[in-house]
Amino acid sequence: MSGGEAIAMATLTLRVGVVAIALAFLPALGLGLWLARREFRGKALVEAVIALPMLLPPVAVGLGLLLLFGRRGPFFPLLHALGVELPFTWWAAALAAALVGFPFLARACEQAFADVEPRFEQLARSLGYTRASTFFRVTLPLARRGVLYGTVLAFTRGLGEFGATAVVAGIQPGRTETLALGIWSRIQLGDDSGALALCAASFALALAATTLAEGWLRRAPRAGVKARS
Amino acid sequence: MSQTELVLRGTARGFQLDVDAAWSERVAVLFGPSGAGKTTLLEAIVGLRREMRGRVRFAGEWLEDSERGLFVPVEARGLGWVPQDPTLLPHLSVSGNLRFGQRRAGAKGAALLDRAIEVLELGELLGRRVEELSGGERRRVALARALASGPRAVLLDEPLAALDLALRTRVLPFLLRVRDELGLPMLYITHDPNEAMLIGDVAVVLAAGRVIALGPPREVLWSQAVLPFAQALGVENVLEARGVGGALVETLRGLRLVVPADLPAGGRLRLGLRAEEILLAAEPLGRISARNVLAVTVTSCEVRAGQALVHLDTGAEPLVARVTGAAAEALALERGAKLYAVIKAQSLRPL
Repeated sequence: MSGGEAIAMATLTLRVGVVAIALAFLPALGLGLWLARREFRGKALVEAVIALPMLLPPVAVGLGLLLLFGRRGPFFPLLHALGVELPFTWWAAALAAALVGFPFLARACEQAFADVEPRFEQLARSLGYTRASTFFRVTLPLARRGVLYGTVLAFTRGLGEFGATAVVAGIQPGRTETLALGIWSRIQLGDDSGALALCAASFALALAATTLAEGWLRRAPRAGVKARS
Repeated sequence: MSQTELVLRGTARGFQLDVDAAWSERVAVLFGPSGAGKTTLLEAIVGLRREMRGRVRFAGEWLEDSERGLFVPVEARGLGWVPQDPTLLPHLSVSGNLRFGQRRAGAKGAALLDRAIEVLELGELLGRRVEELSGGERRRVALARALASGPRAVLLDEPLAALDLALRTRVLPFLLRVRDELGLPMLYITHDPNEAMLIGDVAVVLAAGRVIALGPPREVLWSQAVLPFAQALGVENVLEARGVGGALVETLRGLRLVVPADLPAGGRLRLGLRAEEILLAAEPLGRISARNVLAVTVTSCEVRAGQALVHLDTGAEPLVARVTGAAAEALALERGAKLYAVIKAQSLRPL
């Protein structure tokens, strides 16, 4: 295995991870806020459904994606009409990574928003801030620790995604072969040193992501700090 | 039409409220024992209690009318609300919090903020972090933040509660300056009768979710309706006075009293006198350490739960004293009884 191949794999992995977070972030944020602020019947069921991709074998998640977006899937005609070919592209790998990372992100957001005292939001609104600007100026800054933590968790989970990705994107060198898939194929080929080199690259990526986030968390205030009188 | 009109019914946060009140005075105190529903009523005016039904008109503007389907959202009410817990935003500095308030005021904001910083003497605190502030400082910052937003009116929820005596005396003058210098309509919650009499042009007395009295603080705090709650409210005497030389003061209604220390002549002050610190004697006492002995006539005596509230006519300032029911019986305290009221100079505390 050449160094160029390894770098290409690392770049693809990073791209898949970033696009996965980009896909999952807003839905997870919105869902987390909704769950943190609303009480309703069946909330436990909604939370269980969100947790599913985290609890199911990733291979099953991949199969589910394939059934939805593959040639016989209900979304195929629509995507085809738009000229989008999803299965067995790196987009499919990103979608798989987004899906398995989603529960981590959504639950972390829910917890982070639940920890923000509603009184801070009420106060902001009494000072003339609309719901939306209150969210961006008060709720999100106070919850950012938890949101960032969830993002890192989902991102690193996406970097290491294997089962779902292998099913829905396949292991195509240069196209969909992320680091995790690369390690698997090196082992299959008996290229142990190649596999270890890719492991090291994976390790470096994950470490960089968590270190970056830790540095940021250090500066962010703890969420839900109550104003003492 | 009254500037403020509150007709609200409903249950919020476990409090059942059934309120009907109207007034036009600029500075109102919402007064009552803890658990009376004062904060819930204030939050309804702020717009946080949508579950309440009725009408709210505050400081000249309609905010709610469930019959007409009117409910002005919180952010459009233009009020300066200072909750009991100052609720300073922990992710912003002191000046960050103040600028957060300033935004609504637009172009006028900078001038308003400067004025609030000056009146509340916050100049030295601006660069601080919120968690470095003392309790009294937090309250002043929260108040300044509300004032910087250019509110139509100010709503203060027990701004002095949970502060020790030393801090209260430091924060109170700021509240009086805000009241007197900014000229804004104000609704001020307190369960302290001294504060109520000191701050308010009108007192709205709330007990068990209902308005039981409304009027000038000095009158309603001792009205028949309030008497059943007098003990919970700790009814006391507040006297406005000025120095007339030495340790002698004269109240605005002409009662002369000796206070613990010499005062400059003409100097204005407010004195607090707890009802239970007035001693009542049937006969004149001889030589006595108490500096004030007044000949008084009982105007009424209400005995409740073993305690008697005795209203006294001093010929000048009315006073209220609290004695045990047994003492009231022994002294035959009834309307018209002639007595001597004995007040130690030390019991007259400057507010």
